[in-house]
Amino acid sequence: MTASAVAKRRLRGVRLNLEVRRDISPWRQAAYLAGFIALGVCISGLILIWAGVPAGDLLDQFLVETISDGDNLRSVLFQGAPFILVGLSASVAFRARFWNLGLEGQMIWGGIGATFVSLHHIGPEALRLPLMIFAAAACAMLWVAIAGQLKLKLAVNEIISTLLMNYVALNFLYHLLYGPWRDASDGFPHSAKYADFERLPDIFGVSGALPLALVVTLLIWWLVGFTRFGFYMKFVQASDKVAGAVGIPVGRITLASVLLSGALAGIAGFIVASGQEGRLIQNFSDGYLFSGILIAFLSRNNPIVAAIVAMLVAMLFISGQSLQVFYQIPFAMVQLIQAIIVICVAASEFLIRHRIHIVR
Amino acid sequence: MYELFINWIANTPGYAAPYALAALGLILCERAGVLNLTAEGIMLVGALSGIGATLILGGYPPVAIVIAMIMAALVSMLFATMTVLLRVNQVIAGLAMVFFCQGLTALLGNLFEWKNQPITGIGRIDIWPLSEIPVIGHVLFSQDMIVFLLIPIFYLVNRMLTRSMVGLRLRAVGESPEASDAAGINVTAYRFLTVMAGSALVGLAGAYISVASTKIWVDNVTAGRGWIALALVIFARWRPWRALLGALLFGAIESAMPRIAAAGIKVPQYFMLMLPYVVTLCVMIWVAWSKRGGATDEPGALGQPHVREERR
Repeated sequence: MTASAVAKRRLRGVRLNLEVRRDISPWRQAAYLAGFIALGVCISGLILIWAGVPAGDLLDQFLVETISDGDNLRSVLFQGAPFILVGLSASVAFRARFWNLGLEGQMIWGGIGATFVSLHHIGPEALRLPLMIFAAAACAMLWVAIAGQLKLKLAVNEIISTLLMNYVALNFLYHLLYGPWRDASDGFPHSAKYADFERLPDIFGVSGALPLALVVTLLIWWLVGFTRFGFYMKFVQASDKVAGAVGIPVGRITLASVLLSGALAGIAGFIVASGQEGRLIQNFSDGYLFSGILIAFLSRNNPIVAAIVAMLVAMLFISGQSLQVFYQIPFAMVQLIQAIIVICVAASEFLIRHRIHIVR
Repeated sequence: MYELFINWIANTPGYAAPYALAALGLILCERAGVLNLTAEGIMLVGALSGIGATLILGGYPPVAIVIAMIMAALVSMLFATMTVLLRVNQVIAGLAMVFFCQGLTALLGNLFEWKNQPITGIGRIDIWPLSEIPVIGHVLFSQDMIVFLLIPIFYLVNRMLTRSMVGLRLRAVGESPEASDAAGINVTAYRFLTVMAGSALVGLAGAYISVASTKIWVDNVTAGRGWIALALVIFARWRPWRALLGALLFGAIESAMPRIAAAGIKVPQYFMLMLPYVVTLCVMIWVAWSKRGGATDEPGALGQPHVREERR
């Protein structure tokens, strides 16, 4: 008998036994989570190095440059606002067991609603900004209400319907920008610029979008944590059947959450449109869908954690932009890194939920 | 007008093929109980691999298509590991995969400079003398290789699914993994391999788009067709032949779009581009409306991870 045959037999003798954990200490849970996030970051780093970023510059690009440089920091602080809102939007819908994958379409409708108010000069100047925000929220709510009603009344799968509606909204945006809303002053396919009083004002040199988003975060935190509505949502999330059996109006709770989710995404759309270019441009909503889902998933639908994760995503987003400028790395890299981190965190949940025994 | 009509019908199978193949791959996965939202991403992997292999080999598109299928199956192992082995929520895993593949293909297409490089691709094959029959000849006997292979592929997969032991076990795993497990079927292996096989078909659909239709790689070349294929699966009630029928419907709509414009009928361009998605939505609503309260024929354990240790 050769040595390798013995080794094989011994290997066959080893068996992996899985056991579902009954509980796990929070420290160990955090350790697993941190370990897998670190793994994801390492994989992303290796891909970046392979794509041509010098290894020594990585930390510099992602941490030092984004925080120390004044312009970059301002961009991060602004960019955090729409990410917070889409993250909250996704998590509010997920809490009501509704997979809202139409965040980008709702953002587009938010942008369209706000721009409509701007183009038609609706309302006095002093009230214009609140009106635009209101129009953004209302349009996005109407858009998501279609998918919400289809799910509640006809059990149409909302994963597919909301996703398809993104494409419909995007093509409608193109129709507007290449048609009636094309900027008459320069002929480019974007809408006319908003007036100064139609854009969010700066507060202490930082865009007013972030304070707005933080206020919304606190409101949502209060709503889901301290109100009857939030209490009902917890029931619906745990089991919609049981919730219905104990007399909770499941349909109304779901619809209200879905509408709230749509409104948040719509406001995010307005913030991106007004904060970046001050007008509607073609692909302003690109990439927010997955970021929103990622933020909701990583924060486990907790609003305060979502705001923190959103700021980290904003840092990644801004670093991605500078990588594009300095190393010609396509912006899709940002999406790839986000996906790798989601995959790693999802994998870590396996170890958090199961214990692996090696049986000899 | 008549010319245009024949042209429309003759082009329909080419537009229908990616929907049909992707839907078939998804039906396989979902019949085994794995809710596979990855189609859009796996199609992109197939599309990029198809173009890349053609450019590296300097031709041989059939070989490139096979390579694309293998690559799609390999990438899908990540999804299979997450959902089947690690029991991750299948919606989250599927979405993460789509965005992973979108990012990866955009990055690789850029780094390898495969972007915007036209290839010859696969062309039409005329089955002479049948292709010379007026009207029918042009429609039925002058198509490309993959379209000719569609019917055999559908026949084989359908036969495998409904008339073989493997198919029976696969469906059993999708209906009730607990019962299958008790009957001695290796649920994990069945699901894992089915995801790979189904994804190979989805990859074939993607490769068809890049190698036979567009003949060029651009980012997100599939443009949401994977999501439409997912809706098709629901429309088809998880049955292969109905999926082929639905795919032909969508192919007909998509191939009509440029021809309506060519005929001089004025429809705003972007409303035209919206049409496939709007029609898909309408079809989904119609299916839901016609089956209110009734059974949807959905596999019993669709989307549920099988956790043997939590067996009740």
